Amino acid sequence: MGKTLRELRPVRVVGIGLHRYQRMSETTFVTLGLTAVREALADAGLAWRDIESVYNGTALLGLASTRPMLRHLGASGIPMTQVENASASGSTAFAQACLEVASGISDVVLAMGVDKPAPLAIAGSKTGIRDLVGSRVAPFTHFALLTNEYMHRHGVRPEQVAQVAVKNSQNGAANPYAQRQKARTLEEVLAPPQISGALTRLQCCPIGEGAAAVIVASDDAIARLGLESARAPRVLASVTRTERVYPGAKNFDAELTSETTSLAYEQAGIGPQDLDLIECHDAFAIEELLYVEAMGLCGEGEGAGMLANGDTAIGGRCAVSPSGGLLAMGHPIGPTGAGQICELTRQLRGEAGARQQPDARTGLAHMVGIGAVCVVHVLQAG
Amino acid sequence: MPERRAAHPGLYPASGEHPPLLGQRCAGCGHVAFPPNPYGCESCGAEPDALESRELAGAGELAAFATVHLHMGKGIEAPFTVGVVVLDDGPAVRATLTCPTDEGLRIGDRVQSVLVSQGSDDDGNETVELRFAPLGASDGGAS
Ligand SMILES: [Zn+2]
Repeated sequence: MGKTLRELRPVRVVGIGLHRYQRMSETTFVTLGLTAVREALADAGLAWRDIESVYNGTALLGLASTRPMLRHLGASGIPMTQVENASASGSTAFAQACLEVASGISDVVLAMGVDKPAPLAIAGSKTGIRDLVGSRVAPFTHFALLTNEYMHRHGVRPEQVAQVAVKNSQNGAANPYAQRQKARTLEEVLAPPQISGALTRLQCCPIGEGAAAVIVASDDAIARLGLESARAPRVLASVTRTERVYPGAKNFDAELTSETTSLAYEQAGIGPQDLDLIECHDAFAIEELLYVEAMGLCGEGEGAGMLANGDTAIGGRCAVSPSGGLLAMGHPIGPTGAGQICELTRQLRGEAGARQQPDARTGLAHMVGIGAVCVVHVLQAG
Repeated sequence: MPERRAAHPGLYPASGEHPPLLGQRCAGCGHVAFPPNPYGCESCGAEPDALESRELAGAGELAAFATVHLHMGKGIEAPFTVGVVVLDDGPAVRATLTCPTDEGLRIGDRVQSVLVSQGSDDDGNETVELRFAPLGASDGGAS
């Protein structure tokens, strides 16, 4: 029988760092990455020589991006591995780092993500299997179709879906690392340009550049290096799943999230009622409603009501995407999943300032990627 | 002789008033799929020789739709409308609808396949594309 992360030795997040997510600029990926890693080292109170291994989530930079960046911290000869898992690349880099520490192979490991916008080369388009729509259906149209189906099934209006982007823009306005730092009104979110179906521009995430870094460590290392374990949330669960065959027109995104999240709850020994916050894959506004339902925070069709009640706002029952989420903090691809762990850690330490979820003890990070893949982590305050 | 060609060869015939979709049925598990693949059954893993060609009637029910304003696809100008069609023969497929906008469309509407002309080349060869038309609506042209 295999083991889950929870059954191995404890893994804790000891350092976090980010380079602000932003529109494509002249800044090199080296500067983006080094900024995040240096901030994470300083946050942890560690030196570069304390890091024993690196996993770097990146999808767009091209071959072998890690050493050309990290050699400028002093070429220490440690293992460095690029990780590509579509939008979940940074989440998977974090999962690998956790496994390496939990297994006892290393004591202190860096998980990071860095990317700059570049043309996508998606392997799924090279299988030789064609469908009827091809690239007429971009990801935003896939989610426009889900929006249409959801609104019909549950009698929800476009304004109720757009409120997701309003809430997350308010959260992003309090996050200095967010690409979009402007609180938006419902009117602004609903304003043209119309992208696809009911989706307007501000209901679609911005894809820019940035970097995120997370240092994980064992309890042995925390004691040996004199780190503050009270500032070091424990990783209670790490689960990755891929899409199966679901009957008929069933929404595979929601099904996949539902099964991945239930396994994570089981591993962590918690239920949805125990979550104080979630960092959710809200690349498109409808996703937050679909996923809070799939995660069991409320029943099917009740996501819009939960949002309207303020239950998913900061200060509500379970804050969803206090960072601003992909919609406001942004989605630079490789960094996004690692950036979610930075936000959970900051919140669970009580260091999130104006966007602090009160008494945050338990948080969940959720990413999905085309393919489709879903990665979920659960963290609990140290 | 000028001929008529399908814009997506292998996915539907290039003639017929309401052409079928060329799908697949797995002899191992009965899974019915569209589009067909030459590799193996997604449901049970049966090898390609277990995958039998199966015509799926070009008729079904609209499960979702969206009018697209931005895309990188070929053969059409935005805005156009795409739909999820649950075929009477099982699979849900995404396809372009004959109506440019979603005006008057409702989830649950019956739709059927039609061939729409994509124009002809210098030798008179015509390319036709399969789209779905709401029942009762006039079809796109080529028949
Ligand atoms: Zn089969």
